[in-house]
Parts: sequence; C-alpha cells; structure tokens
Amino acid sequence: MSAYIIRRLWQMLPTMLGVVLLVFFIFNWVGGDPAYVLAGKISNQEQIDNIRRQLGVDQPYWVQLGIFLKQIVTADFGASWSTNERVSHILLTRLGPSLTVLVPLTILATLISIGLALAVAYVRGSFTDRMVMIVCTVGLSISILVYIIVFQYVFAYKLGWFPVQGWGDSFIQNLFVYASLPILIGLVVSIAPNLRLYRTFFLDEINQDYVRTARAKGVSENRIMWIHVLRNASIPIITFLMAELPGLLLGSFLIERFFSIPGIGREVILAVERSDFPVIKAITVYVAFATIATNLLADLTYKAVDPRVQLK
Amino acid sequence: MRSFWRFAGGLLALLIAASATAADPAKVLRIAFPVAETGFDPVKVSDLYSNTVNEAIFDTLLTYDYLARPAKLVPKTADGMPEISDGGRTYLIHLKRGIYFAPDPAFKGQKRELVAEDYVYSFKRFADPSNRSPYAFMIQGRIEGLDEATEQAKKTGKFDYDAVIPGMVALDKYTLRFKLTKVDYLFPYTLAHVVFGAVAREVIEAYANDTNAHPVGTGPYMLKEWRRAARIVLEANPNYRQEVWDFQPNADDAWDQRVVAAMKGKTIPQIGRVEISVIEESQSRWLAFNRKELDLLAVPPTFVGEALDDQNNLLPQWTAQNVTLFRAIDPSVGYSFFNFRDPILGGFTKEKIALRRAISMGYELGQEIAVIAKHQEVQAQMPIPYGVVGYDPNYRDVNQYDPALANKLLDYYGYKRGADGYRTLPDGKPMVIHMATGTAAIDREYSELWKRSMDAIGVRMIFDPGKFADHLKAAKACQLMMWQAAWTADYPDGDNFMQLFYGPNTGESNNGCYESKAFDAMYERSLTLSPDSVERQQLFIDMTRQVQVDGAWSLHASPIRNQLIRPWVLGYKKHPILNADWVYMDLEPRS
Repeated sequence: MSAYIIRRLWQMLPTMLGVVLLVFFIFNWVGGDPAYVLAGKISNQEQIDNIRRQLGVDQPYWVQLGIFLKQIVTADFGASWSTNERVSHILLTRLGPSLTVLVPLTILATLISIGLALAVAYVRGSFTDRMVMIVCTVGLSISILVYIIVFQYVFAYKLGWFPVQGWGDSFIQNLFVYASLPILIGLVVSIAPNLRLYRTFFLDEINQDYVRTARAKGVSENRIMWIHVLRNASIPIITFLMAELPGLLLGSFLIERFFSIPGIGREVILAVERSDFPVIKAITVYVAFATIATNLLADLTYKAVDPRVQLK
Repeated sequence: MRSFWRFAGGLLALLIAASATAADPAKVLRIAFPVAETGFDPVKVSDLYSNTVNEAIFDTLLTYDYLARPAKLVPKTADGMPEISDGGRTYLIHLKRGIYFAPDPAFKGQKRELVAEDYVYSFKRFADPSNRSPYAFMIQGRIEGLDEATEQAKKTGKFDYDAVIPGMVALDKYTLRFKLTKVDYLFPYTLAHVVFGAVAREVIEAYANDTNAHPVGTGPYMLKEWRRAARIVLEANPNYRQEVWDFQPNADDAWDQRVVAAMKGKTIPQIGRVEISVIEESQSRWLAFNRKELDLLAVPPTFVGEALDDQNNLLPQWTAQNVTLFRAIDPSVGYSFFNFRDPILGGFTKEKIALRRAISMGYELGQEIAVIAKHQEVQAQMPIPYGVVGYDPNYRDVNQYDPALANKLLDYYGYKRGADGYRTLPDGKPMVIHMATGTAAIDREYSELWKRSMDAIGVRMIFDPGKFADHLKAAKACQLMMWQAAWTADYPDGDNFMQLFYGPNTGESNNGCYESKAFDAMYERSLTLSPDSVERQQLFIDMTRQVQVDGAWSLHASPIRNQLIRPWVLGYKKHPILNADWVYMDLEPRS
C-alpha cells in the first residue's frame, strides 16, 4: 500500500508540471497586461514599464516560470497585484466562508441523493419513479441563476425566512442564518442530477445475480438495499464525489456573489477581472493539487470499501 | 465652597459640550458598494470605492463646499485658501492648528498633531516609484525638484524621503510652500483631490508591509473593521476637530433649504458608525434596500422601472414610505474615439473627417439613452459634462444624430455602396471599421446598436471583444481603430476632459491619438488662464468646436444617478466630486 501511495505521489509531479505550464502560458497569452490597469487613468510608457519591472512581468518567460515554480515549492505566492494582500491570507480568509456553505451542502446533497435514489431505484418503473424522474429532468433544465433569483426573492425578500444577503463574524450565525438559503438552493440544484446518476448506479446493481441470490436466501429488502446494493454501487459514487471535492476550493461563484458571501469563488472572479496573476496562480495550483490528491484518495477508498480491489 | 461649585459647573459645561460635539455611536448608517474596494493607502488605490472611504479618513488641504454648484473649492485643513504668488507658480498654505490624527498604536499613546511636514511626506510618496501610484500623473512635472527625486530613486532603488524638494517645503510647523515648474491655476484641484490626504510617516513605516489595511488620518472617521471585499465599518474619529455644519443653500433650491434646515449648526460628523457592505449583484442590493437593510441606494439600472414612473418620478409605493429621490447628472461623459493614426479612419483629409463625422451622425444615441440606459442618461453636447467648469448649457454638438446627412456626406466624398449595401473607400477598396468592445452583456447591447446604426449608413462595422487591459495597451500604442469609453471628472474643471485631446498626451490619456495644432495651441493657452477667466470659457467652446469639426469623438451621454433615501436620513445631497456624503449627514431614529 505504501509503495503504491509513494508511486502515485511521484506520478503527481509530471501532472502538476503540466498544469503549471498550462496556467503559465494561458495567462501570459490571454491574461492581459496588468500594468496597464494598475497604472491608473493617465499613465505613460515609463510608468507602465516601472510597474512591469516591479511585478516581474518584464522578465524573460523562463525566468518568470522559474519564479512560479519557486513559489509553488515554497507555497509563497507573494501578494496580490491589485490589493497588496498576501495571497496566503486571501486563501485562508476566503476559504472558510466557501466551505461553510459547500461542506454541509455536499454532505446533505450526497446523503439525500443516495437515500432518494435507493428509494426510486427500488420502485423502478412505478408512477413514483416516473414522477421523480420528470421532476429531476425539469429541475436539471433550469439554470442555477433562476433558482438563486427566485429563491432570494421569494424566501428571503417576500417571506422573510432568510436574510437577503450578508455574512457575519460568528460561524454558528453564518452556518444557520446566512448560509441556510444558499445551502437550500445548492441542494435543489444538485439533488436532481445526483439522484438520476445514483439511481442508474443502483439499478445496475439491483439487477445483479447476487441480489437475486440474497432475495432467494430470504435476506430482508432493507438489508439488500442498504448493505449489498449500496456497498457495490459505492465505487462509482465515490468516484463522482471525489471528482467534485476539489470544486469546494473554488467555491460557488454565483451563490457567493448574490448572497455577498466573502468566499473563494468571488475572489477568483475578482482576480480574473483584475488580471491578478498571483491569486489566479495560487488557486489554480491548489485546485490541481487537490484534484490529484482526491483521485488518490478515491483509489484508496475503493480498497477500503471493496477488499476485492487491488491497488497496483 | 465657591470654588467647588465653580469647578463642578465647569465640569458640567464640559460634559454638555462634549456630548453635543461627539458623533452618536447609536447612529448607524448602512450603505452598499456595488464593487469591491482594493485598499486604503491613498497613494496606491485609484478605484472609486476605496477613495470614497479614504475621503472620510484622510484630510486634504482643500475640499469642496458640500452644497455649492458648480463645485466650489474651500479650505479643509488649510487655514484659508492658498496665497498664490509668482504669477501662479507659488502657493503658500497655512495649516489650521490643533488637528489630530485618529488614535493608533503607531503613535505610541501620544496624540499626534497634523503638521505641514505630513503633507510634504504624503506628496513625496506619489513620486516614489516603488509605490507605483496610479495618481502620480497629478504631480509629475508640476512641482520643482520632484521629478529629479523620482529619477534619483530609480537610480538608487530607494526614494530619499529626507531629501529636501525645493518645490515642496514645510516652512514651519504649520506653513507649507509649493513652487511649481510653471504657471498652474489648476493646482488647487490637486490639493483637494482625495488621494492627497495627509498620512503620518510613522504609520506608513509601522505598517509598511500592508499600508492598504492601516489607514490612519485626521478625517472624521477611522477604519474600525475591514473584511476585504465584503464589509467595511467606519467609526467617528474621537480626535476629530470641532467642525460645524455651515453650508449655504443655492438660491431657490428647495432641496438645499431642507438640507440646511436639518443640518445647520450641527457638528461634523453626526453619524457615529458607517457600515458598508459590498453587494455586487443589483438584485441583492435592491432587495436589501426594500427590506430596509440599507438606508441609501443608487437605483441599479435594471430596477429603474420599479422605482420611477415614465416621468422619472418616484412610484407611489415609495412615496408612501416617505422615501425621497435625488437625481443628479454625474460629471462623466461617454464617448467613442477614432484613431487618428489609423489608415482608414485617421488623418485630417476631408474624406476622413467626413467619414468620422458621418459615423458620429449615424449612431442612434437616442436609442442608447432610451433602451440601454432606460432614459437614465442625458445626451452630451460637449466633452465637458454638466457641472464641470467649461460646460456651456447652450452649446450643441455639431454632429447630431442625422443618418440622412451622414449618408449624403459619405456619398459626396466617394464612399460608394457596393452590391451588398456596404460602402467602400473612395479608392474602391473595402472599408471595414473595427470597434473594440468588452465581453459583458452591456457591451453586446452597445455592439448591436452600433451595428444597426452603421448598417443604416452602409458602414460595415466589426466588433473585437477583448480584455480592458489589452484594449488599453493597443489604444496607447495608437493601434485601436475605435473604442467606446467614459471619463469621469477627477476635478470639476474642463481641463480634465480637454487634456484627453492634447497631442502631447498621446500614449498617456489621448487614446485617439488626436494631434491638432489648432487644438493644442488653444489648450496650451487655456493652461495659462485663471479658471474663472472669460477667455478660458470661450477657449473651451472653441476647443470643443475644433474636436467636433475634426470628428475626434462620437459623443454619447452622461449618466444620471437616482439615489433613493430613507426618511430617517437627513442632509443628503449628491456632490459631483465628493463621494463620502455621509460625513455631512445625520440620522433620525428608524421607523
């Protein structure tokens, strides 16, 4: 097992290098020259050159790439070009609000989706199953933007059940007051596709011989569904979940923007709008690292869930 | 015993005076910024919202009268207006005494008085290349010895803040002298610009790693809490000097009368705490105001229909809540510039001038105002907007919307229509106009309007969407054919707009690369005249006529701001230059 993990970690290096090169060249080609924005309303070439020199963007590409690699190794991406705030401070302070929304949302969405998917898979072909699938399809067809606008208007403004927007200093207040409506919207948006996907995973398993055998042996339906079927369907579910986890680092831009949540999603958009390369670099590298790490975690989890899985 | 009562009486009087002067911490104003701030170091920021906060924290030498229109300069920390001598080259300024910085650990428990040297230091910071100040242009080449100090810093890698700059000297603790490189009657506007508020050297040095997060000034407010890009809380500065609200209303202005009645004689500031939320989405701001979570709101364009009727009056649901509306034209102008070095559009030959003017005449500005701006714009007749020195309400743009005339002009100068309906150049070669544009939804609306307008006069227009920084880079290199932009006044004088056409400013602010000897001569003459000179006013009109006859810009419109005000907010009036209006306002208990 440890040899496998070391090998996988070693294999991360070329992948990370690929990501670094991709980010570096994409930004330098299409990212725009930040010096022109930072120079202000009226600026001459000398001032722009001075800013480019200070930012280091006047250096040859290979030097800039070297600095980028050093930043990754030392985990020090310097300061934001537009606000002078340390990038590490940006990540630390913005990640909390994003996770306050997205962690409970992911947990709830997963549990609810699994429960509902198991239920509708069990009654496959029934009126209930069809109705749920129709509702899911309709739900899938509606943009998250519509959900946000309608829910904010109805539940926050008209009914006053939630605040229209805002964020406080207390975790409890944020979780139970400010994050409630964003989580609700996130649930409505994510349950429909999750439920459809998980249902297919469960249906694949329900038709397997071992289920028929279990029924023939008189095993209860609850045990068949919650133990046998769920366990065997868990590998694709884990794959799907692990693929979604790095997204937590990116936050949910639209939700954060509409509800004024000072999360990482808003920060990413601000950084892109301001051509703030240090922030973009840091977030991209961390998301890439998280993606590779969760892939490894997924493989390890397969082994834990199903001992038949061999890690080679 | 008598002395005891005298002492007690004095103490009581002091307590009463203190309670009358102090801002009330219970008065909390809640407002929203639609765009995130970037920081609060005056030398480093250039965005409107950071500067709005800075306006309340830092004190400039001069400022503007809150009520006077057009905007009028008045002393702030200066004890009277500057004494100007040497034909407009030397400015002598005396500081008021007893002005103190807000408390901060950098002062080590001492009360720190504002002195002339603080302004010398604050101005020097703009010349320090390591600060890469976006407002360095306001002092570059203007103060004797300052550019040399910048050059020296570039050589040594460090700006020498202890070196004496001949053009900027603290003669004593409370006297400041500026010597300018040339006659400059606009220098007082620099002294009033928010970025030139005084900072204390020890504060800047104490927080050198993040000066943006530690603004300490002598202004009426201090930064209490800052959650970046989310929430800013200001509290009244306990060290703020005794200042009484005493502005004169404009004659026959009922709004001003109400403001004066509510505010006259009160100490500044009255509001003890200002809570600013960054709410980027217009629906969220709108609903928050509806829920009375905000006390003031600039109506977002998408919600104008829910606030105003066809005559731009407040709808009954708002008047029923005693909400009031303040409408003001922003000192800003929208335009599209033509590149004078472009082989198709540029130059001063008659057919090129005709092409540019025809494009201007062909643009359906009325549709922009009606459809895109939902009638919340006014047509700009001059590059100088309403409320700015040099604006003439009787002047009319010579390139008014007139597609028939535009077609005649193009026909006359040989821009013939081809089989596809689009015109060719007079030499028969294809003619395609490239318009740089952004990628937002509003940019697409403008592009569609331009396309429709140009199709009507047979001009093929193609749109090149891109990033602002890339377009700006190309514009400064005179490589953009056309680009739509806007300019908002840095100071309320026509010079701020006319410099956009000045030939030597090509590559800096003259993005159309317009170089007209006639215009440049008039502009240079205007620089030597006092702002209130009649000749200067006429020069602004002549310069305007020149750029319009040459077809330098397609002039668009100035935006109208619709501010909704809850009934418990007293003393609101939008100032064309100042933005921290709440410094001069008060609050009653909310209902």
